Amino acid sequence: MALIELQGINKTYDNGQPLHVLKGVNLSIESGEFVSIMGASGSGKSTLLNILGILDNYDTGTYHLDGRLIKDLTEKQAADYRNRMIGFVFQSFNLISFKTAVENVELPLYYQGVPRKKRHELAMEYLEKMGLTPWADHFPNEMSGGQKQRVAIARALITRPRIILADEPTGALDSKTSVEVMGLLKQLNHEDGITIIVVTHEGGVANETDKIIHIKDGVIGNIEENTRHEAWGGSVIK
Amino acid sequence: MRELFHEIASSLRQNKLRTVLTGFAVSWGIFLLIALLGAGNGLMNSFMGNMDQFVSRSITVQGWRTSKPYAGYKENRSIQLDGKDVALTEGPQWKNTITGVTAGTGSFSATLSLDGKVVNGWLRGVSPEHQEYGKIQMAAGRFLSPADLQEQRKVMVLSLSQARELLPNSPDALVGRWVTAGALAYRVIGIYHTDEGDFRRTCFIPYTTYKGIYDPSDKVSSISFTVDGLHSLKEHEDFQEAYGDAIKRLHSIAPDDRMGIWISNGYTRNMQMSKAEGIIRIALWILGILTLISGIVGVSNIMLITVKERTHEFGIRKAIGARPGNILSLIIAESVAITAAFGYVGMFLGMVSCEILGKTVGQKGVDIGFETIRMLENPSVGLDVALEATLLLIVAGTLAGIIPAWKAAKVKPIEALRAE
Repeated sequence: MALIELQGINKTYDNGQPLHVLKGVNLSIESGEFVSIMGASGSGKSTLLNILGILDNYDTGTYHLDGRLIKDLTEKQAADYRNRMIGFVFQSFNLISFKTAVENVELPLYYQGVPRKKRHELAMEYLEKMGLTPWADHFPNEMSGGQKQRVAIARALITRPRIILADEPTGALDSKTSVEVMGLLKQLNHEDGITIIVVTHEGGVANETDKIIHIKDGVIGNIEENTRHEAWGGSVIK
Repeated sequence: MRELFHEIASSLRQNKLRTVLTGFAVSWGIFLLIALLGAGNGLMNSFMGNMDQFVSRSITVQGWRTSKPYAGYKENRSIQLDGKDVALTEGPQWKNTITGVTAGTGSFSATLSLDGKVVNGWLRGVSPEHQEYGKIQMAAGRFLSPADLQEQRKVMVLSLSQARELLPNSPDALVGRWVTAGALAYRVIGIYHTDEGDFRRTCFIPYTTYKGIYDPSDKVSSISFTVDGLHSLKEHEDFQEAYGDAIKRLHSIAPDDRMGIWISNGYTRNMQMSKAEGIIRIALWILGILTLISGIVGVSNIMLITVKERTHEFGIRKAIGARPGNILSLIIAESVAITAAFGYVGMFLGMVSCEILGKTVGQKGVDIGFETIRMLENPSVGLDVALEATLLLIVAGTLAGIIPAWKAAKVKPIEALRAE
């Protein structure tokens, strides 16, 4: 079985009138893949990502993550799965503003109950990987967007998750930094074999990934293999 | 634990002013609680201290004035106890209950003089047991002995204030000397203690001596005794009722006349006092807690706002693996930390103000004529109250945090992440 296996996922929001967002999504993603989910706003891509990240639940269908059925989990179980299996990278970084870079990176390990010293060592190690050692004791508002996103990536990586879910990771960055961040994700995929799923509406960002999954009106459209990164005419980001 | 403190400290630092304002309400509540309890204790201490000299397990009966006409007598009649009452008290009816019956005489006014110095006094004939019943503390020498009564010795025990006036430099040296009282001389065998400002003038002489010299009748002014074998307040009250009725019958006093005789029962008074003390203490606690509640509501309110403002942060925490329990305990711990920290400030200030109260108002006495009493004696709260207050603070902090924490813990991560 693939690392991620979605079968007939339906999701309806009911805010006054029902809104059928996902209409029977079937999708499987193998371990070690670097894929992007592309679609316009309202296509259901964010909802799909939230379901993949166990941040939201679905109505019907099945979702298997690493062979385990993710359905009707308690909040506690969901939290533990998120903590151990999934690393999140958000458009708006979502760092905690009153914590330093290193404290932000440590936080997932805090919830695992890892001792303070060990946590700190590991966090410093990952910050070093991101080239942020001199910034370890800086607060998020003292850093640039690119630096913040790299802190967020370090935080996503520190628990050695099976998957990194990146929701518009370059959405708040300029094009130069965007290239750097995508390069970093690519490197993590190639060198460490981490499965990475990027949600984006930008062709240039999707072009950096090896597989592009198009989603439209709540159903999966065509899936492009993009090993030569020419899907968008080799266009660079933005 | 250390991590939790770190978490709390960093989030409280976010909002210093708000934290301080919230904390002030709690400090104020605890301050008032401690100050109220301290002042209450001081009042109680002085009350008990002032009562102490009257309190014992003994019962004393004295004649008084009737307030109701009965059996052909008019009201407002003076009741004089005599040998019949003593016989009744010692009699077979209560021989298992009543022990140590003694009678006290009336008093005889005399001028005491020594080497040209004079002071007036009231001679009163009593038995040796009177020392215990009257809670008399000796400053020097001894109290009356059975032999003094048997031999009708002319000896006396006078008060320290009298001794000071007769022999200002060394009142103790009065013991063993002869003092003239009226036309007769008495040898001083002891001096009983009186506080500064306590000008008691009673001089105790043997009962038999008094009867022989000043009053040969069988009249007595008071009868004192100890009771045994009564265990509950109810039994004591029943006994007192039955005994009082018997005395009233002897003097033809209306059974429902509360004024004819006066019975002073140390045991029931003790019980009533401690009951009253308990009620006052509970009332003070309730007042203090009510004040504290406004502080708790304040903390709860602030925590609610904090939780709302930090929803996004909780969303991040949940996304990276915080369980609902982690969030819950974080908020409650924050609430307890604010309440406890500021509560201790309030407690400390409350204790300080108790001390100040004790050093100022507590030192002042109120002159009630024959002696001065202190209104506040040692107003302070003990370690037990401090511990109770600590417990109260933790409970209060938890209560204040529960609703906000619950709200924070149950919000869905996806909704929390969307919140700004």
